[in-house]
Amino acid sequence: MLFSSITFLFMFLPVTLAVYYLAAPQMRNLVMLAASLFFYAWGEPVYIILMLLSILMNYYCGLDIDGKRENPQFARRSLVFGVLANVAVLAFFKYYGLVMETVNGVFPVDIPYRVLPLPIGISFYTFQALSYIIDVYRGEVRAQKKLIHFSLYICMFPQLIAGPIVRYIDIEEQLMQRSFGIVKFGRGAMFFIRGLAKKVVIANSIGSVYEEVTRLPVGTVSVLTAWVGCIAYAFQIYFDFSGYSDMAVGLGKMFGFEFRRNFHYPYVSKSITEFWRRWHISLSTWFREYVYIPLGGNRCSGQRNMLNLILVWALTGLWHGAEWNFLLWGLYYGALLILEKFVWGTLMERLPGFVQHIYAFVLVMVGWVFFFSPSLGAALDHIGMMFGMGASALADRQAVFLLTTHWLLFVLCILGSSRGWSLLCAFTESYKKGRTQRIMSCVVYMGMFLVSVAFLVTETFNPFLYFRF
Amino acid sequence: MTERQEAYYGEEYENGYYEEGYEENFGGDYGEYENAPRETPSFSKAGVMKWGAAFLILVYIALLLIYTSGSTKPFEEVAASVETLIDKENLVKQDAQALKRYYGLNSADYEGVLFYSAEFSISAQEVLLIEVKTEQQVQEVRDAVEERLESRKNTFEGYAPEQAQLIKQAQTQVRGKFVFMAVSPEAEAYAAAFTKGL
Repeated sequence: MLFSSITFLFMFLPVTLAVYYLAAPQMRNLVMLAASLFFYAWGEPVYIILMLLSILMNYYCGLDIDGKRENPQFARRSLVFGVLANVAVLAFFKYYGLVMETVNGVFPVDIPYRVLPLPIGISFYTFQALSYIIDVYRGEVRAQKKLIHFSLYICMFPQLIAGPIVRYIDIEEQLMQRSFGIVKFGRGAMFFIRGLAKKVVIANSIGSVYEEVTRLPVGTVSVLTAWVGCIAYAFQIYFDFSGYSDMAVGLGKMFGFEFRRNFHYPYVSKSITEFWRRWHISLSTWFREYVYIPLGGNRCSGQRNMLNLILVWALTGLWHGAEWNFLLWGLYYGALLILEKFVWGTLMERLPGFVQHIYAFVLVMVGWVFFFSPSLGAALDHIGMMFGMGASALADRQAVFLLTTHWLLFVLCILGSSRGWSLLCAFTESYKKGRTQRIMSCVVYMGMFLVSVAFLVTETFNPFLYFRF
Repeated sequence: MTERQEAYYGEEYENGYYEEGYEENFGGDYGEYENAPRETPSFSKAGVMKWGAAFLILVYIALLLIYTSGSTKPFEEVAASVETLIDKENLVKQDAQALKRYYGLNSADYEGVLFYSAEFSISAQEVLLIEVKTEQQVQEVRDAVEERLESRKNTFEGYAPEQAQLIKQAQTQVRGKFVFMAVSPEAEAYAAAFTKGL
């Protein structure tokens, strides 16, 4: 089931909210758990069993580690078991096919192999489980003794399918006790509507521009068209993913939970370092806490620090997909972060702001080419076209056509991914100031909702891009 | 003390050495032993359960691989394993136009299509095997197959109930990127051949 679907908006969500708020407070976790399991089973009737078994395994891992707290050696062994088991399951579903394809490609063999589809959300709920058992081992949290509470943490439907990756430490107290109120519910609804509009109205629309560019025959793409396609994809993935995250945060608030934000206007960044502090914040936080810092982080020699960065970013790239171009995408950012840290970071800070923006923008766009291309060769071809190599011309009618017919959409995208959006939000959220502003705010949000529903009704199946991770 | 005890234990016992030794070795206060921290057992109920859950995950994945997994074998190879069994006296190989007419699907969109249908409309027999190119197409093909089965069931129920029964007993399977459907008295055999061919 998708958040951006009529079934979810008009059936699942209203029913779940009604049952949740009518239930006794001590039953609300159970209601939400049941709803979450139904939500997941709707799209994955087979793999829900895998998720339930993973929940059981991690629940007992946590208890086991907690019970061996006074014997570090045994606790460590339990932790190693938990980490290896989770990583093994994730690696099997995500990377088994890649390994077999590589073996068949490198060696003169053609070994047929069985394939299983990737369970939706496995990357997200496995990382949440890992963060839980590691935090229990570190003593930052006590193991959750109630299976219902733990299960809810892992499979809560607002963040189950595509994040944000919620650390247990951030939600532990909220599982036992959380605040409710009409203002919180209202803010949640506003977040949700904003996210829905981002996904359904903007992301899907700008995505069609990207699709048009990818359908063009090779050799007919100008430099400008290549850039238009790349920028269109950059906006599509931002509004798609940040829209989903906003919906997740909004749904969390509506049910009384507070999640941390996952995006903070990444395209206004002046450096790659800043970009990764603003893009998919929960993922970069996870890798920092559980891979980078345990490896030594930056509290070691320069060479070791570089190695740590390369390793973390290789894993970050691979997390996004079992293709070699994702690994390259991760290493690309790892290399840029190293260069910013050790070579030209200080120099860049002295340059004018707009130069820094252009620097970050160009590098991020090149990064997205590795992300959306079906293969490494296709990625290099597209990058070549963006810089004149293999392009049909500097600009052509196709590029002008795309820009002139979608100019308003591009303007909305630029405003929506920058300070323009925060100004709009400030205006729409100025309800505290007076009755007129409150009414205006309601009108704007109702309008956004109705427009989003209109788009939904006319469109076909439109999953979130990050579902494939 | 008896003479025997005295001879055995000697002076130490009589002098209380034994008791001192006991104290030295075992502690004077039994309560200390009770209060001393126990060693953490290397296994616990939670430890056993986590292994149990991990084992169940392993078993579940094995079952998925056996009963639901797809294959990377070429379409022709998988199709051949089914096609050799097909009753070509009653079923005729159909082309892309027929697929479009009966299922609304474009064969050019897919990796491979094998479509056999009865020559005469009085029979409901059909065999369809499609290998899709993307995961999203799986649902599209499944929906088309279900719609076809439902529509034919309604058609045959009126005048050929035994054909309608065949449709109700249709074998449909989705294995990775392969979608299989068979309406035939031999449907189970065709399904088995398809599974074996993966």
